[in-house]
Parts: sequence; structure tokens; C-alpha cells
Amino acid sequence: MDPAEDWLVESLRLYQDFHAFDLSGATRVLEWIGNKGVFVAGYENLKKNEILHLILPLRLSVKENQGLFPERDFKVHHGGFSDQSVFDLKHVPDTRLLVTSGLPGCYLQVWQVAEDSDVIKAVSTIAVHEKDGSLWPRVAISSSMAPGVLHGVRLSSLKIVDLESQKTTYTSDISDSEELSSLQVLDADTFAFCCTSGRLGLVDIRQKWAPSENLSRSPASGGERWYAEIGVRGQSPGPNIACLGSGGQLRLLDSRNLCHPVSSVQCPVSTPSPDPELLRVTWAPGLDNCLAISGFDGTVQVYDVTSWDGIGSQVEPLFTHRGHIFLDGNETDTSPLVTTHTWHPSKPRTLLSAASDASLHVWDWVDLRVSC
Amino acid sequence: MSGGGHASPLHICPHSSPRVQFSHPTKGSEELVRQQGGGGGEGDLAMPLTCPLLRVGAGQDVGRSCILVSIAGKNVMLDCGMHMGFNDDRRFPDFSYITQNGRLTDFLDCVIISHFHLDHCGALPYFSEMVGYDGPIYMTHPTQAICPILLEDYRKIAVDKKGEANFFTSQMIKDCMKKVVAVHLHQTVQVDDELEIKAYYAGHVLGAAMFQIKVGSESVVYTGDYNMTPDRHLGAAWIDKCRPNLLITESTYATTIRDSKRCRERDFLKKVHETVERGGKVLIPVFALGRAQELCILLETFWERMNLKVPIYFSTGLTEKANHYYKLFITWTNQKIRKTFVQRNMFEFKHIKAFDRAFADNPGPMVVFATPGMLHAGQSLQIFRKWAGNEKNMVIMPGYCVQGTVGHKILSGQRKLEMEGRQVLEVKMQVEYMSFSAHADAKGIMQLVGQAEPESVLLVHGEAKKMEFLKQKIEQEFRVNCYMPANGETVTLPTSPSIPVGISLGLLKQEMAQGLLPEAKKPRLLHGTLIMKDSNLRLVSSEQALKELGLAEHQLRFTCRVHLHDTRKEQETAMRVHSHLKSILKDHCVQHLPDGSVTVESILIQAAAHSEDPGTKVLLVSWTYQDEELGSYLTSLLKKGLPQAPS
Repeated sequence: MDPAEDWLVESLRLYQDFHAFDLSGATRVLEWIGNKGVFVAGYENLKKNEILHLILPLRLSVKENQGLFPERDFKVHHGGFSDQSVFDLKHVPDTRLLVTSGLPGCYLQVWQVAEDSDVIKAVSTIAVHEKDGSLWPRVAISSSMAPGVLHGVRLSSLKIVDLESQKTTYTSDISDSEELSSLQVLDADTFAFCCTSGRLGLVDIRQKWAPSENLSRSPASGGERWYAEIGVRGQSPGPNIACLGSGGQLRLLDSRNLCHPVSSVQCPVSTPSPDPELLRVTWAPGLDNCLAISGFDGTVQVYDVTSWDGIGSQVEPLFTHRGHIFLDGNETDTSPLVTTHTWHPSKPRTLLSAASDASLHVWDWVDLRVSC
Repeated sequence: MSGGGHASPLHICPHSSPRVQFSHPTKGSEELVRQQGGGGGEGDLAMPLTCPLLRVGAGQDVGRSCILVSIAGKNVMLDCGMHMGFNDDRRFPDFSYITQNGRLTDFLDCVIISHFHLDHCGALPYFSEMVGYDGPIYMTHPTQAICPILLEDYRKIAVDKKGEANFFTSQMIKDCMKKVVAVHLHQTVQVDDELEIKAYYAGHVLGAAMFQIKVGSESVVYTGDYNMTPDRHLGAAWIDKCRPNLLITESTYATTIRDSKRCRERDFLKKVHETVERGGKVLIPVFALGRAQELCILLETFWERMNLKVPIYFSTGLTEKANHYYKLFITWTNQKIRKTFVQRNMFEFKHIKAFDRAFADNPGPMVVFATPGMLHAGQSLQIFRKWAGNEKNMVIMPGYCVQGTVGHKILSGQRKLEMEGRQVLEVKMQVEYMSFSAHADAKGIMQLVGQAEPESVLLVHGEAKKMEFLKQKIEQEFRVNCYMPANGETVTLPTSPSIPVGISLGLLKQEMAQGLLPEAKKPRLLHGTLIMKDSNLRLVSSEQALKELGLAEHQLRFTCRVHLHDTRKEQETAMRVHSHLKSILKDHCVQHLPDGSVTVESILIQAAAHSEDPGTKVLLVSWTYQDEELGSYLTSLLKKGLPQAPS
């Protein structure tokens, strides 16, 4: 039996459910719309890229009688063409609008998902003033009264632009030109930023620039890049910020005390990451204290951070998804690289992951600690 | 006569000379002629021949295929499917719209069936025997072998189970199949001396084919159902770069992205494994000549790998037909797949044994493959009745079930079934619906379009679907037109057929003798006569045509008078005309003859004094009908007057 078949037999034990798809182009984007749809977008730089609105196979959405639904396929509900390489896509909640960012990085594209047809149309652009042509702006949607787009390549160019009027409603108004790696809107008045250096901050837009920051961070070791995500933790105590470095370090912080990480561990991944722009760390919405990381190789790793403390400990993942490596259809020497992953909003152990070979997996992993 | 001529570029039916009236063709083509304009080029020789016309038969949720194509005067019906959702006449296509009067046999040149699924061939006996069609029905050999079995099965369910009247009979199925002409893959079949068809491998199911329909230089390719990813026992569809005018592709799954075959298999194995692990029994009702073998190979490999001891059985109904199937299969598949199956006899499994009905009562776990596939009768239904009451057991339905069958009922979620004698059967066993049939998704369609390189693409779909995005994708990627007709809609595609015309050597020589060499990029006007005889087109010189027709040649010569103000003598005027024309008409042969006249090629210009006014000279410009264009041009040129500078 070839390794792929071996892995599939193993997978019977490891996964409750597993689906594998081949997109026509690899994506770095997996953006949910509701519980049932995701957006993907291509990032090639010499041709038109597709933006697709995919509906998950019906059987993943039904609660009862799952067995009576033979359909295991994604439906392409809408599609559009982009001239940009799309590196990020955000859906504007309660609207049919999308915002994409990529290269060339001098503008953000606003799209509309049609109601009476299956077309995603470009409707307007938001200019981005950045001289460095190789950088692209990070994007987050501000959900205050009127939808706005928070974007920036650097701390100095952070802005919120009102979608309808195109007026700038907020600027950071500082000269610090550190590059951004991620942006996240937390509520109507607050957003978080993470710089590629690992510098984190929470900003209140009602005040002049005075974010709470992790100032006593370790000096940026040459070339190491960081990416962070803040989990919406609700009542559960513990750290809610996860910060992942291209050297495999994972730091957990509490937003109330950014200066002192709760824990800092070394993940067993092949380092450094071949493409730090692909680093992802995500908190599980349906599980306590679980997060997933990707961007180092062809795997996605899930960790339970409940008992993590201290600095420098070695940890083991609760689960490693190796599907992209074993089901690599290209049969080239280089393994594909996972480009992005995301958790299902309501099914606790279901994730979606995409890789550089245009594969897209939907998988529901088995928690082997729980005896059946 | 005075007045300028008006050049007519078309030489087949010229009409715009004001002085000579030719009999006009019908008004319609007069319009066409007027529109043609421009000079030269083979486009002018083309008349709009009958364009391929498509009518798409109504197809709904489950899909029923029946497409009518008119191509260059030939009418072909593609597939003749049954709508599985209806129980009355609505399940059959409405054949009355094909031709209001006249017999179908006269109207249709042939019928082509792509594969044995009922939504593609289910209405065939109704069509040929009850509506009436006696012409040829083309399909591949495996389709010919399997179709009647499925049709008979279906007939039994409809008539015996549901008590329907007005359904086709067993005899009708037999009579229908007598009209079938079986074809091989890649074999060009002449339906008549103009229409030919060719079958291509479509994957999907045993015997499924895509068909190319060709009349002269016009062709259409119809895909039927196909898939572009290979199976364990069926390869992927393949077609050569045949460049049809139109590719009609099945697009029910066009807006989907298919889950990988491996994951489907994994799901199947997982379900079976989980059931036998907890001591349950798994029933898999299968059609005798279908996916059973593929699933058996899958289980056998898995059992070997996991070292499982749970028995797997194969009902006798399957083994009987198995050898027949095996033979059909071996001749149908390609080299690569054939090798895998020749290496092992498909029906000699280590872990799979023949079933005996007594085994159904054995305690403990087991897996049984049994016929028929929709649980409507026979062994599979018997076993189902025994096992349905236990929730540890599982039934896996590998395909669509026709309405009225137990299979259909349980797949609709029914848990209490009324059996014969008013007995109620409570279904506690797990019911799993798995789909193993392979269809082309968006990616597959793009691949096929890339292989065939059609001029246009037509997407056939089962329901009013939004496929604007796919249409744009196809149009952008391949730079072709993409159509998505709604049910019942007709699509008309104009084609510009290239019509080869033989040109006679004499005519060519005549043109060469004019003195100027032909240039590849410059259109050149020539006079000739098109003779259409016995499907042969020839372009010959007018003289030759007249000779062949036995007619005397008439010469038509036009003369025009141009008045010029010139006080000099006629001879001088003539010289002035000569040098003027020579300087302007550099491409033409302008000569000054000893008798004082000027010739431009064969056009004669003579200067004479005006009878009453010595200050006026009259130029007589005379040309033959063939030189109309040049003659008119010269006339208008001369009317502008001569330059003042002395010659």
C-alpha cells in the first residue's frame, strides 16, 4: 500500500470526518460567512485570480440523519475575478460586501456579492499610500455604526476608512514605521495590532495614540517574524492572546498585562518557517484553551494550553493534521505548505485548512484523550 | 449614355448596375448581398447555410436528458431519458415538439444514447415503440448489453409494484433494442453519406461515451455524463483536439468542487468498520453490473490490511452475472486498467465468499453484497427485512433509488414501512446513503474544454441554475462563447462553414495574363462563374461556363461620354488624358495607341470634338461589363477634369 493509503487507513481512527478538495488555485484566505459558507481567493501574480464563495457540504451542517445526505461536495455559490493577488479577504458583517488586500499593495478592493446572480463584482477601491511596493496592507473590519475598514502597512499608516463615504475616520497619526503583521478589531472602540517584530498593542480609537503594549519584549532576533491572534474568551480565565514566531515560539499573553507573557513555549515544528507571512495561530471557538498553528510545513497542529506556564518549555501537540502531506496530488519532491487554516464556528473540533498545492481539507479530529 | 456607374463587388449575382437589369434573386439574399460589401475574400462566396440549431429537452431536479440537435440539415436526438420524479406522462419527454407533423423516423436521422442510466435511456422504449421511431439507435456495446436489463427492472417496478398502466412492455424493450447499432470507441460510423458519428471514452459508468456528430466541416460533441478523475475500475474521460463548432457538456455538477474519491472510500470503510466492530451486520444492495466489484476490491484490500476476520459475502445473483460483466468490462477498458484486472480474477477474493440465504440468520457481524440495488425485491429485500429491526446493523445504499421502492422510502427518512399483508416493518438499522458515481465538476469541465478546443460551449443543466460565473470563466480562459439555455429553450449558433471550391486552371491563367501578380494579402477581384453540380463546386471562366452550358457568349459594352472643356485638338486631349491616367493609375496598363485612343487595360477612351461646341471635347469611355468597376472609376476621374500642366 502506498503511504497515502496507509495514512487513509490511519485516518479512520484519527478523524471523525474528513473531506479533501482540489481548488483551481491555491488560497491564503479562509473567511467565514455565517456557519455554512467560506470565501477563498487566489494569490498568483501573473493571472486573474478567482474569489469563490463556497457552501460547505450539506452533511456538515445538518444535525440529524447525517447519513441520508450523500453530498460531500462544496458548492460554488458565487465567483469573481481579481487582478490583484489576494492575501487577505474580509467579509463586512450584515452586508454583501467584501474587502480584499494583496499585491499590488497600493489599494484595497471592495466587492459586492450579487443577490440575483452568482457573480462577485468589484465595486470600489480604497487607496493605500505606501511607497514600498512589496508590502501589502493588513485589514480588519470595524463594526461601529457604519462599517469601516481598518487598514495599514505600518503603524504610521494605520487608518479607518468609512466604507460608504470613503472618509477617513481615524488615523494613528504617528511616525513609527514598524511593519504590521496582523490587525484585529475587538469592539467598536478598540483594536489590536501585532507588528512583524512581535510588538503587540491594544489601541483605543477614542484617544490619541497610547496603546497598551508589550514593551519589554525580547529584542527581535534577526529575521524572526511574529503573528498574533486574540481569542474571544468570554468567561474562561487565562490568556487570550497567542503570538506565534517564525522560529516556532508560541507566547500566550493576557490582554490586561501585555508586558508579562503567561507562558512561552517552543513548538515542535521545522524552523524557521519557509514563509513567515503564512504564520497562523487561531483560538478554537468551541473548545476551552485550544488553539491551532500552521505556516511551518504541510501540517496544522492543535494544542491544549490549559496547563502551560513558564518560559521555554517543550510541548507536544494534541493533534497534528498531516493530510496535506500524504494526499499531495502533485507528487513533487517538495511537500506543500499549509497557507491558512480556520476553525468551524459551531462544530467544536472541525477545522478547514488550505495548502500551496491548492488543496482544501475539512477535518473533524478525534480527541484521543477521551476514551470511547 | 451618361452618368457614372456603381461598382458591385459581388460577382455571382451582381445587380447594382443601373443600366442593365439582371433577374434578382429573392429579396432575402438581395439584403445579404447588399450587406456583404467589401471586395474579394472567400466570405463573399459563403451563403448562410443551415446553422446548428439546438433544442434542449426539459430536464429537472434529478435530471432527464434529451437534446435535439439540427446540424447542417441533419437532425439527431441525444439521449432519451426518463424523469424519475414523476409517475405520470410527465416523466417522458414531450416528443411532439420535435415535429408537429410527419413521422419521427423521417425527421430524425438517428438517436444516440450515451450510457445506461435511466435518466438517459429510460424513455427509449416508450419513444421508439409507443410514439414510433424506426431509425437507428446508436450506443456502445456495454450500453447495449446493460440497457435492456435496467429497463426491464424499471418496468417491473413500475408495473408490478406500482400497478401502472400505459407503460412499455417487455416485448417493447426487446423490439426497441433490435433497432440498436452498437459502436466501438473511436470508430467513425457513417449514419448516411453525410452524417458521421464517433464515440469517445467518458468514464462515469461502464460503457458511457461522449459522441462527436459531424456533417461536412461542422461538428458537435455531446458529452453525456462524464468524469475527468479516474476511478479504480474506470479511467477518466478523454477526447482529442477535434475542435467542434459546439461542445455540449453535462453541467449538473458544474458549480461544485468534488470531494476526493479517497475520502468517499474512507467514509465507506469507516461506516462498515464501525458497524462490524460493534457486532452489527452491513447490507449493501447493489446492481449486478455496477459498482459492486469496485467496493469489493476496496473492502478486500482493507480487510487484508487490518487483518479482519469478519465474513464478507457476495450474493449468488451477483456471481452469475459477474462473468458476463467481466467479459464486457475487459473489452471496454483501456490497456492500463485491463492489466490490473487480468492479473487477478475479480471474483476470486480471499475474504469474500458466496452467500447462502441461511447465513443471514447467523449471529455476529458480517457484510453482505446483495441484489437488487433498490431493495425492491429478491434477496436484498429479504435480508433487509431480517436485519432492519436491529439498531446495530447498517444498510448502505450506493445510489439513487426509484420511487416506489423500499430503497427510496428509507432514503427519504421513512422508518415504518408497510410490507405485503399489511405488515409494518420498523426500521431501526442505520441507513446510509453514499454516492459513488463520478461526474465532472467545474475543474473537470474546464479540462475537457481544454482538450477538445471547441468554438463554443453549451452547458446543459438540470434546473434553472445560476452559472454566470462559470460562463465567464470559460469565456475568459478559452475565448469562446458559452451558452446556458433554459429548459425548453432553443439555441441557434451561426457558423461560417468553409466551402472548398475548385478553380479551373484556365481561369487562373486568364487572371495571370492580366499582367499583375497576385499578392497574398491583397484581395483580388476576379470574374468567374460558379458551377454547382453533383455536390461539386467549381469556379471557371465565363467562356468555359458558357461552353459547358452550350450557350453563345454575349458581350456587353458600356459607353459613357465625358464632356471636357478643352480648346485644343482631340489628339492633344487624348495625349493629356494618357499622361494624366498614366500618372494616377500606376497599377494599371495605360497605353496610347497609334490611332489616338487611350486604353486602360481593356477600357477604351477616345477623344472627339463636340459637334456644336469647339471648346468642348467629348471623351468616349467604353468598357466591357467585366470592367465595370474600373470603367466607373475612370469615368468619375475624368469628370473631375484634366490637370492644367502641359503633358
